Amino acid sequence: MHDNRWRKTLPLVAGAAALALALAGCTPGGSPSGGDRPLRMWSGSMTPITNNFNPFAVDTATHMTFGAIYEPLFFFNQLSDDAPVGMLGDSYEFNEDGTVLTVTIKPDLKWSDGEALTAEDVAFSLGYGSNLDPDMVSVEATDGTTVVVTYSSPKFTATSLILGSTWIIPKHIWSEIDDYMTETNPKPVGSGPYTLKSFTDAAYTLEANPLFRDGAPAITEVQDIGIDSNQSSEDLLKTGKLDWVGQFIANPDGVTSNGRISTMNQQQDPTVIMTCADASMGCAGAQTDPAVRQALNVAIDRGAISSKAFAGLSGEASPSFALLPRDEKWLSDPSLAVSPQEPDAATAEGILEAAGYTKGNDGFYGKDGTAIELDLFSPDGWTDYNDAAKLISAQAAKAGIRVNARTVSEAEYWTPISTGEFQLALYGITQSLVADPFSNYDRYFTTTATAKVGEEPTKGQNYARYTNPAVDEAVKQAGATQDEAIKKDAYAIVQTEIARDLPYIPVVLNASQSFFNTADFTGWPTEDDLYAAPLPYLSTASAVILTHLRPVEK
Amino acid sequence: MKFWMRRIAFYIITLWAAISLNFLLPRLLPGDPAAIMLGKLRRANGGRPLSEETIKAITSILGAEKGSTLWDQYLAYWGRLLHGDLGVSSTRYPAPVGELIAAALPWTVTLVGAATIISFVLGIIAGAWVGWFRGTWVDQLVPITTFLQSIPYFWLALVLVAVFSVQLGLLPIIGGYDVFEFPAGPEWTPAFFASAFVHALLPAATIVISSVGGWLLGMRNMMVQTMSEDYVLTAEAKGLRPSRIRTAYAARNASIPSLAGFGIALGFVVAGSIVTEQVFSYPGLGKLMIQSVQGLDYALMQGVFLVITLTVLAANFLIDLLYGFIDPRVRRDG
Repeated sequence: MHDNRWRKTLPLVAGAAALALALAGCTPGGSPSGGDRPLRMWSGSMTPITNNFNPFAVDTATHMTFGAIYEPLFFFNQLSDDAPVGMLGDSYEFNEDGTVLTVTIKPDLKWSDGEALTAEDVAFSLGYGSNLDPDMVSVEATDGTTVVVTYSSPKFTATSLILGSTWIIPKHIWSEIDDYMTETNPKPVGSGPYTLKSFTDAAYTLEANPLFRDGAPAITEVQDIGIDSNQSSEDLLKTGKLDWVGQFIANPDGVTSNGRISTMNQQQDPTVIMTCADASMGCAGAQTDPAVRQALNVAIDRGAISSKAFAGLSGEASPSFALLPRDEKWLSDPSLAVSPQEPDAATAEGILEAAGYTKGNDGFYGKDGTAIELDLFSPDGWTDYNDAAKLISAQAAKAGIRVNARTVSEAEYWTPISTGEFQLALYGITQSLVADPFSNYDRYFTTTATAKVGEEPTKGQNYARYTNPAVDEAVKQAGATQDEAIKKDAYAIVQTEIARDLPYIPVVLNASQSFFNTADFTGWPTEDDLYAAPLPYLSTASAVILTHLRPVEK
Repeated sequence: MKFWMRRIAFYIITLWAAISLNFLLPRLLPGDPAAIMLGKLRRANGGRPLSEETIKAITSILGAEKGSTLWDQYLAYWGRLLHGDLGVSSTRYPAPVGELIAAALPWTVTLVGAATIISFVLGIIAGAWVGWFRGTWVDQLVPITTFLQSIPYFWLALVLVAVFSVQLGLLPIIGGYDVFEFPAGPEWTPAFFASAFVHALLPAATIVISSVGGWLLGMRNMMVQTMSEDYVLTAEAKGLRPSRIRTAYAARNASIPSLAGFGIALGFVVAGSIVTEQVFSYPGLGKLMIQSVQGLDYALMQGVFLVITLTVLAANFLIDLLYGFIDPRVRRDG
């Protein structure tokens, strides 16, 4: 009786599921017309969206606050080594030693409430709230369009920070705000191409700012939608409900095959195995021995990791931590261009044996009776990282290195990383935003950017606890000059040191896929004209793209 | 009277224990919310050093409790609670927890509540039927519904979306209402309610499909058992119509245990359906709960748990009262 029952019901249900899957494979038709309708984008916000347009709430404010409503002085295109494009700013100049910065802004600028935007506002913004640099000595608007900022130390390397991601705010409004941290700024007054039209916790809409310096943008309305899962956004894209997203889609052809949606893939941010590298900082474990890190570096099969864990969309990482080909001129040694893509267990074993490790009966290396056993963790649900960690564990085992991969909740991920109580973590490094790897070196590799285990770095993100006086000295040198030859020499030292010590073992360059509607909107970046990265979640770049777009005439 | 007094005293003690646990549990989780927020700010800030002032501001809001003893924190917690202050969310800083919960609660209660009631009514009616015609082809409903229940919920939801929303384009993919039609948010118009109704269909259908089997199975088995009772035999001997025996004699008595289960299920309605809300980007409490746990947002976590605890207790209390009326055996003083 029991068996009989199953025979009857199972095929029915299985049939329904098969039908559903078969149907899901096809693509639907039907497209709402372009023209007057709003452009709909997903900048990565999840519902409920918080009603916060405070540009100082970098973590919780709505995405469009940054670039579309408030603007920086200049736009630094992270895809090219071209000079920055003026937004509010017209030109800038450092003095000889990099301590005095003179910025000229464009004339006749207006805030979206009609008030004039002058150098006073810029000077106010540079000295306000978290924009205030402790090294700043004075900031002064010398006339209506000129601001002079004086610092106590050279600021060449902070150029993109000061000019490219300091949001200029209206003095007549913010001078009356007491606590810039708790302000939610529900009626933002900015200088950008758009102003807020309506807000709900499911989506918010911006409309063209008629007072924008270049005239109101051609796309008159933009709606940013809160979506909780990648699958939903992919479905919305397929059904023509969304026009612009930046997310991982393993099979991009399924979305682009209807000819309405185009895609691009930028490979920028390195995924690394971050190690707690320095025993003198309090790190514990076998990974504090550079030989173990070097062995791991050659033992892993980056090709397999890229194709299996990252769907073949990721790029090849460089141990120099320069982004190639963008930063080509800063690469000191061509052999540091790419990390090995094939595994080499023999070399790994050679490195370990030279360092005094011996293989135990179980096939794993150890020293003085203790086997190497490393703990590698990644946040649960970051499936590409989870898969990569499993692959790394298996590949390391082939070279006799025991790496145990495990997943943890996001909370359990960030806490040990910030306090240094970990051995190996899969980690994403943020690529420098300008065509110069300086900020990578300064933020992730210097002693000033780290802290002892148990404490958190207060400046920079050297969570690997890496310290190397040679690197510190070279970074300091490079930061104090605009002379390319001196910089190159300094970078050569840094690159050699970090490629040997490997506090961060490069794995891949993350794929950043973007999908955009080219049937209804035109003016998107192309491979030939990458005027900005077409990723809707990037600040400023997304606003630059919005101002370049036009509805397709039909 | 003594019975009711005892029940009420019991509920007051349970309430106190639940609220105290609610205070304690988040603190047993690993990690430090201030550290998490500072880390996020550092990464988001693109290398800009955080000023001392910012660090102080964050730690004083999120990490202020570090220095004080657990007992002091506990007293302060009660003090705030009695003033109706649930605190400020750290993951959605500086949004007040009370507002976040108030915005999410109606959606959850409507969707999950309606789905639970539909699932219960369907399951009871079908269960009574299947039980009555036991041994015939309708018995197949039991394995079919339990099979549907065993399908991973998110997979079922994805298949339904792929078919009804993406392929056929009949139903919406995300949201509690059409954000494209109503960019300014909820309004009191028939069109809006129609939109909200259409948006609730798929999520509700998924919940019903994946939960009706339990009710059906329970009801069917109770029905079979009740039908062997003497009073059913007596009713049949009296020559009553079969439909009357089925509804007034068998089904009525068989549904009593299910009613108790229904009370508990109703209590859990406010906890929402975490996966539903995630898959359909549907507004609701379950999502707030998971986001707060992931981001170690103590204030939000406590707020959500508090609401859930209170409703579960209230639902239990109601069912206790109801039971006292339905079944005299439970309220016997002694």
